[in-house]
Amino acid sequence: MRRAFLAITGLAASTTALVVLKGSPGTTQVAQDLPTAQAVNPTPQDADPSAAPPAPGNPAGAAPKPSVSAGAPSSPKPSRSTARPSGTRTTAKAPTAPRTTSKPPQQPTTRRVTGPGVDNEYGYVQVQIVVSGNRIVEAVSLSLPSGGESDIHSGDVRDRYNGTGGEVVQKQSANLNTVSGATETSNSYKQSLRAAIEQAF
Amino acid sequence: MTHSHTHAAGRRTGTTSRHGGRSAAPVPPQIPARRGPGGRRLLAALLLVGLLASVLPWWLGTPAGSLRSTAATLTAAGRISGLVAGYLLLVQVLMMSRLPVLERWIGGEHLARWHRDVGATLLVAVLAHVSLTLVGYADLRNQSVLAEVGTLLGDYEDMVSAFVAAGIMVLVGFTSIRAIRRALPYELWHLLHLSSYLVLLLGFGHQFTHGAQLYKPGPVRTGWIALYVLVVAALLWGRVIAPLAFNLRHRLQVADVVAESPDTISIYLTGERLDRLEMLGGQHFRWRFLTRGCWWQSHPFSVSAAANGRWLRLTVKVVGAHTADLRDLDPGIRVWAEGPSGTFTAAHRVRERALLIAGGSGITPIRAMLEELPPGAALIYRARTPADVLLSRELDWLAQARDTSVWYVIGSRDDPGPRQLMSPDGLRQLVPDVARRDVYLCGPPGLVEQSVRALRRAGVPRRQIHLATFEL
Repeated sequence: MRRAFLAITGLAASTTALVVLKGSPGTTQVAQDLPTAQAVNPTPQDADPSAAPPAPGNPAGAAPKPSVSAGAPSSPKPSRSTARPSGTRTTAKAPTAPRTTSKPPQQPTTRRVTGPGVDNEYGYVQVQIVVSGNRIVEAVSLSLPSGGESDIHSGDVRDRYNGTGGEVVQKQSANLNTVSGATETSNSYKQSLRAAIEQAF
Repeated sequence: MTHSHTHAAGRRTGTTSRHGGRSAAPVPPQIPARRGPGGRRLLAALLLVGLLASVLPWWLGTPAGSLRSTAATLTAAGRISGLVAGYLLLVQVLMMSRLPVLERWIGGEHLARWHRDVGATLLVAVLAHVSLTLVGYADLRNQSVLAEVGTLLGDYEDMVSAFVAAGIMVLVGFTSIRAIRRALPYELWHLLHLSSYLVLLLGFGHQFTHGAQLYKPGPVRTGWIALYVLVVAALLWGRVIAPLAFNLRHRLQVADVVAESPDTISIYLTGERLDRLEMLGGQHFRWRFLTRGCWWQSHPFSVSAAANGRWLRLTVKVVGAHTADLRDLDPGIRVWAEGPSGTFTAAHRVRERALLIAGGSGITPIRAMLEELPPGAALIYRARTPADVLLSRELDWLAQARDTSVWYVIGSRDDPGPRQLMSPDGLRQLVPDVARRDVYLCGPPGLVEQSVRALRRAGVPRRQIHLATFEL
C-alpha cells in the first residue's frame, strides 16, 4: 500500500510538473515563436502530412514525433476528411439556410478542436471550436488579453464572436468583422480560428 | 467415502497407498537453476517506459506556453490523467491475464501486489481524469459542472458508456479497499471485479472519438489500438488457450483420496505425459474438479510433492463446504487445472541455504520444495497439537535423504516454548546463520506476520523472505 501511495503522489506531482512546464512563463520564449510561425502559413504545413499519409510509418506510439509535430502542434488534431457519418454534409456550407433535410438518423459526432495560440502585443489569444458533423456549433476563447483596458476589448471580442450564436457560428468561417477598438485581438482571434477550422475539416 | 471411514481404514501416508504415498522419487529431483529477479525488473522497466510513452503524444502535441487559462490547464491535466488511466487499465488487465511468461518472470505473488498498487493508482487517475475534464470544460462554457455533465451525456458520442465505465471503475476500486472487501461476500466481490472487463469495452470508444491525441489516424492512434489488441490477445492466451492446451495434454483425473489427519486429505491425481509437466515444488495450480457441485468453483492449492512424472498430489485442509466435498471425490473424476504458478520455489532462492517455516497445513508447498532445495536446509514446523502435524513420515525421510534439520514446534502461539523460539533470539539460537539464508514462510497469517517481524529483527533482508500467498 505504501508503494501505491508513492505511485499516486508521483503521478500527481508529475502531472502538475508537465502542465507547469508546458504553461509556465519561462517557456514562453519558445512558445511565442512556435505558434505564430505556424499560424502564418498554416495551409502548407497542414496539407503536408495528410497529402503523404504513408510517411509516418512508426507503428509503435513510442516516437510519434514526425506527424504530430509537423502540423500545428495544438492539442486535438482531427483529420481533414471526417470519417464520421454525417447527415448534414450537403447543407453544411450554407450557414444561414434553414435545414430543409429532415433530422439526420444518427447524431453527428461532436468534438473540440483547439487552434494554435497567437501572441500579440496585448497578450495571448487561443480559440477552440466545437464541431458537430461539418458545422461549427460553438466557439470559445481559451485565452484573450486581460488586464486594464484589454478586459473591455476582450469582452467585446468575446461577446461578438464566442458562443453558440456568435459570429463564428453564424458565418461558419474565419472571415469575421473586426471588432472596433480591438483590431489586434480580432486578428489574432481570426488567425487561431482559421487554423482550428483547417484542422477540423 | 467419508473421512472417518478412510481414517479408520488406516490409509495414512506411509502406509499402503497404491501410489506409494511416502516418496515417489526414486532419485532426488534435480535442484532447479535459480531464476533471478532480472526478468521481473526488465518487465517493470518496460511498463514504466510504456507509461512515459503514453503521455508523450500529449507532450509533443501541446505547444509550450499554450496553457495560459485555467480551463486550458485543467483540460490538459485531465488529458494527461486520461492517458495515464487508459494505459494503467491495460496494465491491470495484462497483469491478471495469467500469461505464462508473466507467471514465470514475475510470479503470482508479485503480480498480485503490483495489481493492488497499480489499481489504487488507476482509481485515482480515473477520478482525476473525470473531475479535471469536467471542471475544465465547464469553465470553458461558463456553465456549472452539472450542466456540463448533461451536455457531455447529451451531445457527445460514446460519453454515456464512458461515464458507465468510470462508474464501474470507481465501484471496483472502492470495493477493493481492504476493509470494504472483507465485509463483502467473496462471490459478490469477485463478480464486481470481473465487471472491470466491461470497463475495457465501455471506455474504449470515447478515447478515440474525443481523445485529442487519439482522434487523428496516425501512429499514436494505431499504437494505442495495438496495445488493446495485445492485451486482449494476452488475456485469451493466458486464460483460454494455455489452460486448454495444458489440460488436453495432461488429462488429469483423480486417482485416490487419502486422509492425512482428522481434518486434512490428500488427493492423488494421475494423467498423461506427466513426465513433461514443468512444475517446481512449492508452486500451485487452480483446481476445478469436474463433478456435480464442484465444477463451477476453482480453488488454488499447492502441490504437496515435487514433480515425479507419475502422479500429482495436493494436500488440503477441510475448512469449508467446497473442501468438505472434496473428501467424496471418486477415482476417475476429471480435473481441470490452471497453472503452475507461484514464485515460492527453490528456483527463486537468492542464497545457498534455506530456512523453512511452516504452520499447520502450510507445510504442503514446503514439503514439495524440500525435495528440490540444496542440502543443509532447516525446517521449523509449527502445529497446535501433535495430531495437526502432517506428512511427518515423509518429512523425516526427506530430512535424512537431504540432510535437513527438522524441528517440530508444538503448542499454542502463547505457550512459552513456541514464543521463545519464534523470537529473534530464539531463531538465531536455532539457526545461527539465519541472516544468510532464504526464509520460506507458509502458514496462517498470524504466524507469518509474527515470523516476518522476528526475522527482520534477526537481520534477515527482505528480499530473502519468501511468502506463499494465494490471493486472487
